[in-house]
Amino acid sequence: MSRIDEVFETLTYLEKEKGEGVSATDIASILETDRSNISRYLNILYRKGKLEKIDGRPVLYKSIKDNNKKIYDKNVHLVDTNNSLDKMVGSAQSLDVPIQKAKAAIMYPPKGLHTLLLGETGVGKSMFAELMYQFAIESKTISGDAPFIKFNCADYVDNPNLLNAQIFGVKKGAYTGAHKDKEGLLTQANNGFIFLDEIHRLPPQGQEMLFTYIDNGFFRPLGETEKVVYVDVRIIAATTENPNSHLLKTFTRRIPMIITLPPIRERTLYERYMLIENFIKEESRRIGKSIYINKNSIISYLLYDCPNNIGQLKSDIQLACAKAFLKYKSGDEDYIFINQGDLPNHVRKGILQINEYRDEVDELLNSTYDILKFNQYEEPPLPLNINIDDETSDFYTVIEKKFESLKKSGMNEQDINEIMNVDIESHFKKYIGYIYRRYDKSKISKVVDEEILQVVEEILLLAQKYLEKEFDEKIYFGLSLHLERSIERIKNGEKIYNPRLNFIRINYEQEFLFAMKIAKIIDNKFCIETPVDEIGYLAMFFATDSNKMDKETNTKVGIVVVMHGRSTASSMVEVANSLIGVEHAVALDMPLSMKPKIMYELTKEKVQQIDEGKGVIMLVDMGSLTTFGDMIWEETGIEVRTIERASTPIVLEVLRKAVMGYNLDEIIEVLDENSFHREDMLIDKVNKNVIITACFSGDGASKKLQSILNSTLLNKNIDIMTINIIDEEKVETRLHRLSRQYNIIAIISTVHIDIEHIPYISAIEILHGKGIEKLQQIIDEESMYLKISESLTEHLTSIDGEEITKDIKYLIHILENRLEIEVISDVKMGIILHISFLVDNILNGISPRSFENLDVYRDSYWREMNIIKESFAFIEQKYEVFLGEDELAYILKLFLLNQISV
Amino acid sequence: MLNIMLVCSAGMSTSLLVSKMNKVAESRDLDVKVFAVAEADVKNNLDKVDIVLLGPQVRYLLPRMKEMMEPKGIPVEVVDTISYGTMNGEAVLNQALSMVKE
Repeated sequence: MSRIDEVFETLTYLEKEKGEGVSATDIASILETDRSNISRYLNILYRKGKLEKIDGRPVLYKSIKDNNKKIYDKNVHLVDTNNSLDKMVGSAQSLDVPIQKAKAAIMYPPKGLHTLLLGETGVGKSMFAELMYQFAIESKTISGDAPFIKFNCADYVDNPNLLNAQIFGVKKGAYTGAHKDKEGLLTQANNGFIFLDEIHRLPPQGQEMLFTYIDNGFFRPLGETEKVVYVDVRIIAATTENPNSHLLKTFTRRIPMIITLPPIRERTLYERYMLIENFIKEESRRIGKSIYINKNSIISYLLYDCPNNIGQLKSDIQLACAKAFLKYKSGDEDYIFINQGDLPNHVRKGILQINEYRDEVDELLNSTYDILKFNQYEEPPLPLNINIDDETSDFYTVIEKKFESLKKSGMNEQDINEIMNVDIESHFKKYIGYIYRRYDKSKISKVVDEEILQVVEEILLLAQKYLEKEFDEKIYFGLSLHLERSIERIKNGEKIYNPRLNFIRINYEQEFLFAMKIAKIIDNKFCIETPVDEIGYLAMFFATDSNKMDKETNTKVGIVVVMHGRSTASSMVEVANSLIGVEHAVALDMPLSMKPKIMYELTKEKVQQIDEGKGVIMLVDMGSLTTFGDMIWEETGIEVRTIERASTPIVLEVLRKAVMGYNLDEIIEVLDENSFHREDMLIDKVNKNVIITACFSGDGASKKLQSILNSTLLNKNIDIMTINIIDEEKVETRLHRLSRQYNIIAIISTVHIDIEHIPYISAIEILHGKGIEKLQQIIDEESMYLKISESLTEHLTSIDGEEITKDIKYLIHILENRLEIEVISDVKMGIILHISFLVDNILNGISPRSFENLDVYRDSYWREMNIIKESFAFIEQKYEVFLGEDELAYILKLFLLNQISV
Repeated sequence: MLNIMLVCSAGMSTSLLVSKMNKVAESRDLDVKVFAVAEADVKNNLDKVDIVLLGPQVRYLLPRMKEMMEPKGIPVEVVDTISYGTMNGEAVLNQALSMVKE
């Protein structure tokens, strides 16, 4: 039996015995567990509609039996004010119409109506959906154990297949990665509700499937061809899209009930006040203490501009509560008291609007005192999960949370631990420093138990002796507060997790051994058993060099990410900063319309701004941005290093190192040897000839082309790959990547694709047969090139045959284009041989010959000579040779005289 | 003695091939002499030639050379690209010898 069933059973048993409501304490004493846990289960049962709550002190619970005397008449229930929907703030005001509509959608015979919820971010769509579901239970239109499945379509937006699979299920092999049959959420929601948030992110295929279900009551899982699945599910979809948007029209046509939730600015002040009150009470319940707030702060909350609606209001209130809680904990205040100073800046400004709303506000708050008290701690306390600044909140929780969220993001354990390492390290430093600033010795005894303080003093004396290090007051405070929490945690049987454990054990052996010693002292004193993870944390206190810590606040290498696109850089930076838990990296977005010159000025300014004297690392994607670094370095004297083709993992790694105080060279060095050229390295150059066929879908024409080629081409050593043209990533990028891996000998496509020197053949040419000849010629040429480059490798002494063959091949391609001539492939072979031996010979000290009447030749072909000089520059540079005008004239002559006359 | 003249653009790429061909001829006990000239030097060597081979890159000389040499009974051909490209002395020698038989 699960715990929750156990609680329910016990409740019904006690209920029979006592003949009245049962409190959490009653149940706790029978089950011999913590009261707060029981309260949590009771609340869940209450929310599921299995229990009734009798307000009072203590709160009593009664079971609601299916054969209860109260037989719900649906019509009666519609006007019952005691249901979940009507309990909402504003149910009689601005939510009146939405609630009426919601009820109608649920009660509509026979099975209710699918519903679309519209409204801005944070208006409470998710909550409204959940309450609709509860109402459906309360009104007995669905059974008490009916499922309510929540899904956010934005979660899988990068992977439409996965998204569709999540909702509709998938049959094994439907797409790459679908390893087994999987039931979809729609099936799991059978007989209940599914809530699809951000429905506008559902890809077209998914929309189609959803509409099939809406119209016919069945759907087909991905890859399923035979059977269809019938389910009985009510859909509640939600979106922030404008209802007039094209996208949404497809939905509004199919979904019969549309409910719009008003933004907070359209709701009455009274409603807003009720919301504020509810949120403060909720916090009070969490903390388990009353919360006081002054009138001006309430006014600010009533009047400030709150574009993200209720969600924002809630988090702005939570923030103030957390600050007040902190003051209280640190002993500055005897109560949890919110005043103007605790409010976020933008909230504080709210009071400036008072003149416009004075009458309304007066009416609302007239009867209240200058300080308002909210408490709801007779309610079971909710777990304390206030997001106070990292530095003061219980960092066990912080670490666990972070670990979970990183895990969810699909990172592997090693990467997570890497990130967490920094986190813990920087956390410790901050933590210790922070506490030192906050407390003096007289105050700490208010917060920390006397017994613990004694032990800490004892420990520090021992530490001085054993580790031969001086420990100052910072450690004293830090360790005291830390022990206070950890002992409590161990006593409660909560887990302690230290992702750094192994690192500490290896790198701080001395300190770790010492920590084991003191753990024994602690164990004896407090009758607990300190787990090894905790010993790791203790060791860190002694490993932290407090002298170094002071320097910690000093300089770091600056990081700026500059990328093309409106938000590429900022989103990368956001991810990296939030994962590392700092605000150190900065972003500069370069919209495609922006001139590089302006961008350069902006970048220069930013670099000057963030440089702390240790230099700046610029992470860029491509193009002109790659040159900025050196220019800025030259112009400003600030040492700038550029990392090209940066990706989020690279930004993350660089940021991590910078935060840890590495200097410029160390960071770059680590990157070089580190895995970051992984992509390039992983791709083993396969000496395989490949023909690419491409069309828009990657499915239609290109597949057809593939089969034509397969049946007509003689050379079976050539792979034919199909790609699509429409993809988020540009075709060019993908082809470049492929070309690093394979030898792409031709691209055949329905549209013209021009990439480097890869020959292009149009799909139509292939279908007419002419293209096949062309292709065959290319293939023959290709095998010739291969043979020649192999033999050259044998015969050349100073250069690599394969390398120079490739380079000359490319050179020929360029010259053909720029000279606007064509030469036949036999001639190309000869030219390759000629040039490669020429380069090799010059490198071996053989001097170039002179060209007869060079002056005359140069005068008559000056344009061509210039072209050839320019085109050869890269070869001269790469192989460090100087060919000279005479040799170039010979080469030009080969091209000009061999050209195919048209 | 059979004199085979190999013409290329600058004599850069042919010297190696020439020495290979001579070696093959020697091992087969053939009375053959292969030599390479750059395009500019062709006219100075015409009197002591029995066979003319052109490097692929000087293919443009073919019509002119044929016109000039064939009346004298001297065959002219472009070397097979693969044999040339792979510096296959034996194959090029065989090509030259087959030209005589015709």
